[in-house]
Amino acid sequence: MKIPEEVKISDNGFVFNSKTGDSFSLNPFGLELIKNIQEEREFENLKSAMLEKYDVDDLTFEKDFYEFCALLKHHQIISQDNPLDFK
Amino acid sequence: MEKIKYEKPVISKITAGIPNKFGLPAKQKIVSAIDGIAVDKLMNEYGSPLFVLSEKAIRETYGEARRAFETRYPKVQFAWSYKTNYLDAVCSIFHDEGSWAEVVSGFEFQKALSLGVNGSQILFNGPEKLEEDLTLAINHNACIHIDHFDELYLLIETTRKLDKKARVAIRINMDTGIYPMWDRFGFNYENGEAWNAINRIMLAENLDLIGLHTHIGTYIMTTSAYAVAASKLSNLYMATHRKFNHWLKYIDLGGGFASKNTLKGAYMPGSETCPSFDDYAEAISNAIISSEIPHENLPVLFLETGRALVDDAGFLLTSVLANKRSTVGRRTMVIDAGVNLLFTSFWYNLGVYPSKEVSEYVEDTTIYGPLCMNIDVIRDAINFPHVKTGDRLVIERVGAYNMTQWMQFITFRPNVVLIDLEGKTHIIRKKEDLGSIQNFELNPKRN
Repeated sequence: MKIPEEVKISDNGFVFNSKTGDSFSLNPFGLELIKNIQEEREFENLKSAMLEKYDVDDLTFEKDFYEFCALLKHHQIISQDNPLDFK
Repeated sequence: MEKIKYEKPVISKITAGIPNKFGLPAKQKIVSAIDGIAVDKLMNEYGSPLFVLSEKAIRETYGEARRAFETRYPKVQFAWSYKTNYLDAVCSIFHDEGSWAEVVSGFEFQKALSLGVNGSQILFNGPEKLEEDLTLAINHNACIHIDHFDELYLLIETTRKLDKKARVAIRINMDTGIYPMWDRFGFNYENGEAWNAINRIMLAENLDLIGLHTHIGTYIMTTSAYAVAASKLSNLYMATHRKFNHWLKYIDLGGGFASKNTLKGAYMPGSETCPSFDDYAEAISNAIISSEIPHENLPVLFLETGRALVDDAGFLLTSVLANKRSTVGRRTMVIDAGVNLLFTSFWYNLGVYPSKEVSEYVEDTTIYGPLCMNIDVIRDAINFPHVKTGDRLVIERVGAYNMTQWMQFITFRPNVVLIDLEGKTHIIRKKEDLGSIQNFELNPKRN
């Protein structure tokens, strides 16, 4: 799961995809996740860090994370070689 | 270390060039309690989904309507429209407030009698009145509103068999300048059919013509249409007196006042655009008082208002079953109340609200009901905050028609609870179970 070079993310949560011309806004937690995805951090590692930091249970986090990733993929902000691979 | 409050990750596409006509979104409305009772408490006790009716709201709305008319017209009588909500507890509140009963079937007639309504205070409308229904109505001295000529002759025949007189009115349809014009019920004014019917009734020895009735449509947002209707009925009222030297007793303007719900496709919310009771009362009262009817012979004004009296008093409490994404990334949500309970969701954009503080991030959302049917859509598009599975929501303004037009389909119908004036809760219709449905079934034995 990678964020292509055409996608630029600002520190205040503004996202621009120069390939599609679309722009987006992220909420603070969305921004934090996308920065971690950009750094290609492992999911399990990311999950434990987020559970440590935020008041959320593991199932809720996992569910929301994958929904978020599906949206990023839909908006062509992340690319995957294998469409079934969310690791 | 204290953990940070969790907020679901959100990404929203920025769409330029389509400004929101209402500017920045207002703060999300929260409905956490009904008449001071917490939504959580109600749902913990009575389950989900759950219909809740507020006696306070019913009585206050009724009082508002009555004041609007009684301060403008000397003789006003409301008749509660049973089909709008015929739960015994609801009808009883209206009767306690002084309403007569307006029924449209033998079943509703019997229901009114069972609640102790005097037969002479029942207005019997509708196109289906069987001989047995007419017999019941004649025997109880009800006001029978004749819908068509076949019914008129069946009624004459029935009075002969019983050797009794019947008190009757006729239903009249007319052009009041609104579209669509309802012409399927009653006798037409413009082509002379209504006048013809009046003449035939006046000559029938067993019929006592006492009133004129119209019902120009439903969710009528133009008060001038009622003024036109009242003027036309006043004309017939005077014409009847001139020809037969007979004063009728009442003019019945039916129902059709809009509630504050928002119709699908409406530009502005119904709460902003619907006329008030005062507006309707002003138009109707002025039209009758300024007609040529002498003041000493003014008829009683009957009103069969249903929707506008009870819609605001009804709430449906529901729980979030799931959050999903459609193939185009659109947010969808499944709740445990479907169109089987919310018939009015087919024509209204019902107000759906969280019952507690939620995320400030809203997203255009489609809300589905729980039925395994594609038609089960409660809201096509609503800007709604992110909520979790199990979160409780409140759907407002569902007191009219939903508890009569609901279907037992796929699942059971839920408890209906009334909050009385002292803040006590009462189940007024029990949740169904397997027995409630199977009790009516017969399964032939096979060898």
